[in-house]
Amino acid sequence: MANSGHEQAAHDVSGIINQRISEKITFLHQIEEAVKEHQDRKIYQLLDNQRYAKEIEHREQQPNNQGVMSLVDDITNYLSNFLSVNLINYLGKKYPFFYYEEYETGHYRIYFGNWWDRRQFGELDVLNIRFLFNDDEYGKLKKTFELAHDNKRFNSDKIDKISAENDRLQDLIDHQREREEKRSKLQEQLKNVSSRSGIWESNKNKESRQNLVDALQKLEEEEEESRTAAQTIKDNEQVVLSLSKENTILSYEQKSILDTFGSFEDFELANRNLYASYIKSLSDYQEKQVTDDEQ
Amino acid sequence: MMNNNQMLNRPSEQVSALAHSFEHGLEIGQHYVELLTKLAKTEDAHELLEAVNDLVNLDLEDAFVKFPQHYQTTDYYLLLMVRLLEMHSNSELNVTEDPTSHLFYATISSLGEKVLFHFVKDQDGNVGFTDVNDNEPLFSLNIEHQMLRFNNKNLINYFIVKGLKKYSDLDLRSTIKPLLLFAQALHDDLDFVIDRGILGTSNQQHYDLSQPELSLTVIDRLFVSTAETDYMLFNLPKNNGAELRLDRDVNLDLSFDPDDYSQQWFFSVNDPDNQISFFDLLLHYQLIRDWYLSNREELAVKSDPLIFADDQIDENESTDEVEDD
Repeated sequence: MANSGHEQAAHDVSGIINQRISEKITFLHQIEEAVKEHQDRKIYQLLDNQRYAKEIEHREQQPNNQGVMSLVDDITNYLSNFLSVNLINYLGKKYPFFYYEEYETGHYRIYFGNWWDRRQFGELDVLNIRFLFNDDEYGKLKKTFELAHDNKRFNSDKIDKISAENDRLQDLIDHQREREEKRSKLQEQLKNVSSRSGIWESNKNKESRQNLVDALQKLEEEEEESRTAAQTIKDNEQVVLSLSKENTILSYEQKSILDTFGSFEDFELANRNLYASYIKSLSDYQEKQVTDDEQ
Repeated sequence: MMNNNQMLNRPSEQVSALAHSFEHGLEIGQHYVELLTKLAKTEDAHELLEAVNDLVNLDLEDAFVKFPQHYQTTDYYLLLMVRLLEMHSNSELNVTEDPTSHLFYATISSLGEKVLFHFVKDQDGNVGFTDVNDNEPLFSLNIEHQMLRFNNKNLINYFIVKGLKKYSDLDLRSTIKPLLLFAQALHDDLDFVIDRGILGTSNQQHYDLSQPELSLTVIDRLFVSTAETDYMLFNLPKNNGAELRLDRDVNLDLSFDPDDYSQQWFFSVNDPDNQISFFDLLLHYQLIRDWYLSNREELAVKSDPLIFADDQIDENESTDEVEDD
């Protein structure tokens, strides 16, 4: 009994093995065939059947067969490189402001624009057909669109603050003479007041002496600051230039998105629908549609 | 044998010697009249140039026959210019003679009657065409070496810095026209070598910067200025400079040849019809003008003088502030 039960189990096991192996072989054959024919749609379907079923065929709950899909784990970089050709070509038309750099096989950095100064904006995930935007950079762009409603720029406040500071410093430099005159006047006054000091100094006299000392101290501090002001102004101008550069980059990005998508919301919508839009644009998808229709 | 002294003692001989001397003076005069007539009337460019050349070199000095000094040699150049333009049916340049000094002045229609131009001689043996109040020749001319060269620095000072304060860009553009036509006529009719400098419109033309190096901060400043405009500044594909994209497919590049070790920076202007010069862009685009003038030390375009000696002096566009009138 036990034996025959075991045999039965052994029979089942080999059946399972055969079935699993056959699935794997089929999967690998299909991948091999699809690569040979450059049927990118088919490859995407094989690599993530669950998502394909959901987003393209609108069939929910199609689990992925991890057992077969893990077979290509060690060649995903090559598959990514293979699939990138058509994808980047497609993105070039739909997102004309993005540029890609393959920094290692199958891995792509995204640059926003080809203008004088541009930002690295994240990465392109070819196998999942999606942008992995850098959170910081994306946040700045989103903020830029929000601020545009108030006619403001990303760094406007910072620039205004530094510019005001530079105006103040320039004022210090410009009024060096006045300070000098004021100081000699105060020193004269202090001399007079001090001559009336001593043990019996009146409170009033004491107070005005202190005021004079404070005023002189303040002048001295201003003088001290004005000595380094020219350099500080220069340094600040450099900071303003780099903040302005960032503003300019963001305004170029904003312009590009408006030119292509009309609004930031439509840009985000396109990103969310990228997988389906792209799959449907592929030529083997169109062919498949035809054959489906014929059936 | 009589000696000379004895011979001249004879009255008839004396008179005849004197007559002979007058004859020579009159021959000079005759030649002078012929040249003036040719200058005024000929319809042939070569004859015109010949007349000017002869007049410029003509020595009217004669012990016996005195001619009233009427024209300066530089006047003949002005006459060459206006006559050559006449031959090309251009009447935008007018030459008039000052009734008291007898000096000739040129006016250009678009600038009105009050702006006077003339030629002045320089130390290198050329003549320069300049506003009488300036002595900053817009171009230099050497008819012996058959060459004409526009002066980039002076063009910018005269038109871009000063001119735009009083005149529209279109008026100034019209002012350039007869000057360019004159240069073209010298080239086409008389085989002159001409250098239009920043007035050149070929897409291939490079306007070299005079500074050997350029700080990229200067380009950053242009980039930042574009944020307020409809124009955008792009990076060149080989990271060898920047390209400003303007209206109607016109691009201004500031770049260097990536294969050139010296990394000589230069401006170049690309437009579909090869009709736009760097000067035109300075004249028409405030964005470019403001940027160029506020970074002039770094961005100054080379301005070579017209020198034919072997020991060439490298004299580039200086960065001196131009005084406003």
